[in-house]
Amino acid sequence: MLEIKNLHVKLEDEDREILKGLSLTVPKGEVHAIMGPNGSGKSTLAYVLAGRDGYEVTDGDILWNGESILDMEPDERAAKGVFLAFQYPMEIPGVAGLTFLRTALNSIRKKRGEAELTTPAFLKLAKEKGAKLNIDIEMLKRPVNVGFSGGEKKRSEILQMGLLEPTLCVLDETDSGLDIDALRIVSEGVNALRSPDRAFLVITHYQRLLNYIVPDKVHVLADGRIQKTGGKELALELEKSGYAEYTNKAA
Amino acid sequence: MNVAVMKTKAEQAISESFEVAAAKLPGSAAVQARRAQAIGAFSGLGLPHRRIEEWKYTDLRANLKEVLPAAVEDKTPLTIAELIVALGPLAHVDAHRIVFVNGHYRAGLSDTADAAGLTISTIGKALQSASEEVLAGLASTPEGGDAVEALNTAFMTDGAIVEVAKGVAVDKPLLMIFVRAGSEANAVTVRNLINTGEGASATLIEADIVLPGAVRDAHLNTLTEVSVGKGATLDHVKVAVDEGKSLHLSNWEVRLAADASYRGFQFSSGLGFARNGINVLFNGEGSKLDLSGAYLARHSEHVDTTLVVDHAVPHCESRELFKGVLDGHGRGVFQGKIIVRPDAQKTDGKQMSQALMLSEDAEFDSKPELEIYADDVVCGHGTTSAELDPDLLFYCRSRGIPEKEARALMIESFIGEALDKVEHEGLREALASYAMQWLGRSRHG
Repeated sequence: MLEIKNLHVKLEDEDREILKGLSLTVPKGEVHAIMGPNGSGKSTLAYVLAGRDGYEVTDGDILWNGESILDMEPDERAAKGVFLAFQYPMEIPGVAGLTFLRTALNSIRKKRGEAELTTPAFLKLAKEKGAKLNIDIEMLKRPVNVGFSGGEKKRSEILQMGLLEPTLCVLDETDSGLDIDALRIVSEGVNALRSPDRAFLVITHYQRLLNYIVPDKVHVLADGRIQKTGGKELALELEKSGYAEYTNKAA
Repeated sequence: MNVAVMKTKAEQAISESFEVAAAKLPGSAAVQARRAQAIGAFSGLGLPHRRIEEWKYTDLRANLKEVLPAAVEDKTPLTIAELIVALGPLAHVDAHRIVFVNGHYRAGLSDTADAAGLTISTIGKALQSASEEVLAGLASTPEGGDAVEALNTAFMTDGAIVEVAKGVAVDKPLLMIFVRAGSEANAVTVRNLINTGEGASATLIEADIVLPGAVRDAHLNTLTEVSVGKGATLDHVKVAVDEGKSLHLSNWEVRLAADASYRGFQFSSGLGFARNGINVLFNGEGSKLDLSGAYLARHSEHVDTTLVVDHAVPHCESRELFKGVLDGHGRGVFQGKIIVRPDAQKTDGKQMSQALMLSEDAEFDSKPELEIYADDVVCGHGTTSAELDPDLLFYCRSRGIPEKEARALMIESFIGEALDKVEHEGLREALASYAMQWLGRSRHG
């Protein structure tokens, strides 16, 4: 279970608070969506969960399976099962996708005390998981994300997620820059990973994604706090009424 | 001007060292005369220093304080097993090999018997016979020339002479191994002559390596003269891997005939103080040059790459890509001059030099120069220096890759683009292994 308790976050080199007492609980097996207007702190939440530098947690805590992750390095969090699918996946010229994936997977396995995968076993796995996302081995031989279209980059993120088998999946604006076909493939990839052992936090600006990845709960984030929580129908309401109500409330 | 008065101690010591060594250096009277002429030229020039524009960032005079005795002979025992240890990752490259120990040919370690299309001999032997042909093949150093090349001519003891037969595509690379062994610190001077016949193709690798446990102090002066014949293709790779204390002076003098293709690559790590000069002359139309390299420097190592690409004729293409990784107080210097002569229309030249700075104290000096006298050309150059991208580092770490390994992966990523220029796969992998050794990382399966 993910428990975010009264989380206050500011930028390290700026005196501006972005998250102002955010509390949220996502039990295993559930998919929760976070919706909110631009500048509400959605991406900050995603980055703070993954452990990116540049943010300072001034109060509150984040517990994953009862354990605080705030003092953990990003790679330790990954080994604990935390995964962030980036809004803008990075390009790594000169490093083949396969090398990157194998390095990541074996790093995590090592930290979990599992044996590293042999090259043939890894290739088989990568091929199998890639096929479901329309990613062939030739694409994985190319440098990570270099020259990929927006859709290819997002599919590549979901493949990473499928290979690393995290238990807490945070999706940051995964729908941005996707056309309908890509959206469908990505969503199917995500839905295939839904399981009683896994929690999802799906961050999005638009309701559209939630037609494909149907959430158990929807939270409205505005002005650094959860302003309202509801079922999947809340997303539809937001689509009609917009965020004005919440931003006004916040102001 | 009274030159003698201006001499530094080291310059004086070099002249004295020549007096001592002269009688033992190989060659007939004609060769001795050539050597005397060269040391005379050196005396006039002196050791290059920072007030000479080309040596502004690499003050050889300030860094060559102690002159080591010339390695005029060598009897250091070395077994094949030891050679393989010294070769490290290069041992896996399937190649013909010619071996020099402390600058002297070692027949017992060489294996060139079935090198079809290659005629291989040694400078040491050629100088003894001193045919007019050999003398003509050696670039003479006129006054006002290069002091390091003059020293090479004065002290050269041995090296490889390689002829690639006309029209032959040589089956596997020729590995020219220059290994340092033993406990005596000395100055090794090597001269190589490479001649690629018309329409031939070959891959040559020069490897400056060290037997683990050998003396760490050494001075190396290597000059390789390369001539690529009409329509010939030559892949020429230099690997210099050392232990951080030695002085490396290296020069390539390359001449390309018409329609030739030359791919030159230089990899180095652990060179204490190094100057790698590469001069290429386009001597016939329609030729292609692809020059690249990767160098890794840390502690207080200093690696200088200085290129002059001379487009003397029209319709030629040149590409340069050099990448340096600098840590600690490591310093990288890149000077790249592209000259386009008045007649060299339709020249296409591009140059890029990049450095990755891993510490606050690392330094990178880059000086690209275009001298263009023709008006219908496409030429460009660029230079960058950057630190590791923190966003990229975070991306890798968020995938579970620990910081040290993520940094190594990104450094590999940085130099990978240069290593990709090496055509021969086994060799490319050997270079990647050297880089990973430098990064303290083992090769993944």
